[in-house]
Amino acid sequence: MDIIKVFAEAKDYVHINWLLAGGCTGCSVSFAQTVEPDIIRVLTSIIAGNSGLPITLPDWWYVVHPASGSLGTELIEDWIKHSGPGKKIFILEGVMQQEGFCDFGGRDIREWVKESAEAADHLIAFGSCSAFGGIPHAKGNVTGAMSLQNFLREVDMSDEAERVINLPRCPGHPDSLVQTLVSLIQGVEPELDGYNRPLAFYGRHIHNEQCPYRPFYDRGIFANFGQSVQGCRFRLGCKGPITWADCPTRKWNKGRAFCIDTGICIGCSEPAWPDGEFSPFYVELSSLPTVLSIPAETWGTAFVGAAGATIAIHAIHKALTKKKKEEGKE
Amino acid sequence: MPTFKVDPMSRIEGHLNITCEIEKKPELGNEYFVTESRASATMFRGFEIFLNGRDPRDAILITQRICGVCPNPHAMASTLALDDAFDAIPPPAAILIRNIVDSTYYLYDHLIHFYLLIGPELGVLMGPDRGAPIIPPVLGNEGIKQGIGSHYYECARVQRKVNEVVALWGGKFPHIASYYPGGVLVEPTLERVADSIATLIYAWEFIALTHIEDIKNLIEANERLKEVTEAVLGARVGLEDIGVGNGNFLCFGMLPQPWNYESDWLDTSRRVNSIIKAGTWKADIGKRPLDENKITEDVKYSFYDVPDGLHPWDGQTIPNRQKPDAYSWTKAPRYDDEVYEVGPLARMLITQGLEWRVPRIHPVTGEDYGDFVYTVKNPKGSVLDRVVARAATVMICANAAFDFLKELIHMGNGVSNINLKPVPKEAQGRGLWEAPRGALSHWIKIRDYKIAHYQAVVPGTWNWSPRDSKDRPGPGEAAIQCGTTWIPTLNVPQIANALYPGWGDTVADALTKLNPKFANLNMEKTEAEEYINATIPLLIVRSFDPCLACGVHLITPKHRTHVFEVSHGLSSFI
Repeated sequence: MDIIKVFAEAKDYVHINWLLAGGCTGCSVSFAQTVEPDIIRVLTSIIAGNSGLPITLPDWWYVVHPASGSLGTELIEDWIKHSGPGKKIFILEGVMQQEGFCDFGGRDIREWVKESAEAADHLIAFGSCSAFGGIPHAKGNVTGAMSLQNFLREVDMSDEAERVINLPRCPGHPDSLVQTLVSLIQGVEPELDGYNRPLAFYGRHIHNEQCPYRPFYDRGIFANFGQSVQGCRFRLGCKGPITWADCPTRKWNKGRAFCIDTGICIGCSEPAWPDGEFSPFYVELSSLPTVLSIPAETWGTAFVGAAGATIAIHAIHKALTKKKKEEGKE
Repeated sequence: MPTFKVDPMSRIEGHLNITCEIEKKPELGNEYFVTESRASATMFRGFEIFLNGRDPRDAILITQRICGVCPNPHAMASTLALDDAFDAIPPPAAILIRNIVDSTYYLYDHLIHFYLLIGPELGVLMGPDRGAPIIPPVLGNEGIKQGIGSHYYECARVQRKVNEVVALWGGKFPHIASYYPGGVLVEPTLERVADSIATLIYAWEFIALTHIEDIKNLIEANERLKEVTEAVLGARVGLEDIGVGNGNFLCFGMLPQPWNYESDWLDTSRRVNSIIKAGTWKADIGKRPLDENKITEDVKYSFYDVPDGLHPWDGQTIPNRQKPDAYSWTKAPRYDDEVYEVGPLARMLITQGLEWRVPRIHPVTGEDYGDFVYTVKNPKGSVLDRVVARAATVMICANAAFDFLKELIHMGNGVSNINLKPVPKEAQGRGLWEAPRGALSHWIKIRDYKIAHYQAVVPGTWNWSPRDSKDRPGPGEAAIQCGTTWIPTLNVPQIANALYPGWGDTVADALTKLNPKFANLNMEKTEAEEYINATIPLLIVRSFDPCLACGVHLITPKHRTHVFEVSHGLSSFI
């Protein structure tokens, strides 16, 4: 699908208001890594905001927007009031918090988010912070960090909460945002899973359905700290077996790599991340994927038993080869 | 005295507003100048709190999320702190790989600052005829690719290309996955090296042939600015005269050589063989070696009930919102009990002194495009010197990335990438590195295999620190109120027309094409309902490239108006 062509045909330009709450700007930086179309194409061909410079920017996107100060807040207010043609999409980056932890344009960010959510045709939580709470809602969370959906529910905006499309991962994957925008502009609501994540990006299991290192797992070949870089990363603590995202097939940064290529998956697309089973990152999962939400019809108990056996066999094999090596040294 | 406020600020990381008090100076054309300023950033998440009790290795992945613009330096500082705590000296290949990741990361970071963040204002100053100025006012997806918008466009491409190389070695960018105590988890394969070289050539050429030339044009355009200020103000005020600092600079060094790593790099008082050297620089006495024991944090004006002058090892954070006279959640880091600026200028002064020379020899063809040479214009620091220092650093990093890659080739396939050590039961470690915005240090204490204490002293706290126990302002605060921050009443197009006749009309046309309101770009109303132009304070703030997620909160006592509700247990500002 030629995304640019689709946008050109739509002609019904979207007006985007992209706010930063308690975030690190990583999702904006990630969005700028989009390849096909690239960020300039997105901004010049897709988004016709009310700004004039330096290219057709969103009505507001703090990272590259020319305006600061009173003009900046005026543009957001204009977006909220705007009732002309074109859909209004609200994108939130960063976590929502209790009052007093994030101010913007002289008001608490909570007020801006409430008004923007109410005015928006579509709401997108881009990145794990706004989608699920992310790192700031980890154990020890003292700011009341929460997802956009939970915030909206807290302020009696449940209808808006239900409409939020969650695009988690830390940072959000640029393709997930660009393609979600494409479908929304086309008037197609993406099909979502139980956590309001589009199935297109989060409908497949990393370990069971996509990972290129899976064959190693099945053969009991595991990467081990300091011993072998070859093999499945399960023993290094990889959380692929409890994570749903398309990283192994879509990959990142023009498809160059994904986390498991150079380390492990830490499960950043999941609601409970970074706690629960996802912590500690570098400790292997205590149980094999029996407890996972893997469809039973696909991965039955027989499979798990077999996988367990291969790990056990691998352990014995490893011990033997180690012994052989030591003997060899002597 | 009139005041004005800019809130929010775009084209920086995070949430910041500035308030300035201004006064007419009869000796300078009776124009307004800033006499006092406050900058305030208000976003708190509590990273140091949720690190407590976790597996120490989690810190490498979690601290990256402090900042999505500079995740790599946080990963690096955290990994160095864990190397130290685990007593794990990384093998040479791991040092090279970390260097490859971080030097290529720097290309993305500094380039987007110049073109996308501070660029639009600098582009107005550069005018229509200097090759390809940075401002891209030509609208539409065809116009952006040619003429005066093209370098902006190219930068957006180049930053993406260099991040592909970061992803090759780190899994993805932002937020990489490959650093580990004692080394890296990514395998050093010749395939990765070859892929990196092929991808980086384009970026090297953009930096050497386009970016450096844009910087030279900026330096030339600065002379035109001085002619105009002489006519309007009766004094030549250039970019080297605004945002002046106090002349004290601090740098922790980065990109160590793999040889003599223990004696040169791990001993932070040396670090003379690394690509960027460590030390301090004072405008009057020059360079001195770094002594990490001289780092302390004052809290007189910070909301904490702890003693002044504690070293980060002993740093305590007992919050007290009601503390009399306090106005900031940032502590005031000091070095040897003095105020120090950190960042690109500190790096260049400590590495090369006042005369900079960076070669431009093509890493593949060997063609020599001539050294980039620059003499520091204001040894106390200025907008111009900070901007040029970034460009010099980018050129150095682009050259260095190829050197590291070539060294890795010589090591061949299958070399060791990790010196694996178990998580220690009790240990402590520190990691000192350079984030693009300046000196960054992480300090960790491990008890019973878990994190018991984590402190990150970030560039934002150095540059945007509040006043200290001796009432001395931090570097950023001082730079805005250094006396030369001109606040014109003319708007941006009018200034542009004064610089180059007709240029302002072009700028105005581009600005207002989609929205007439952009005629008021950077204009703010004072309390006396007078419109003033806030471009210069914005330039000064952006010359520091502030990163608010990393920790800024600064208000002068005089304007203590900020309300910040805090629940218990709040222990730091990150």
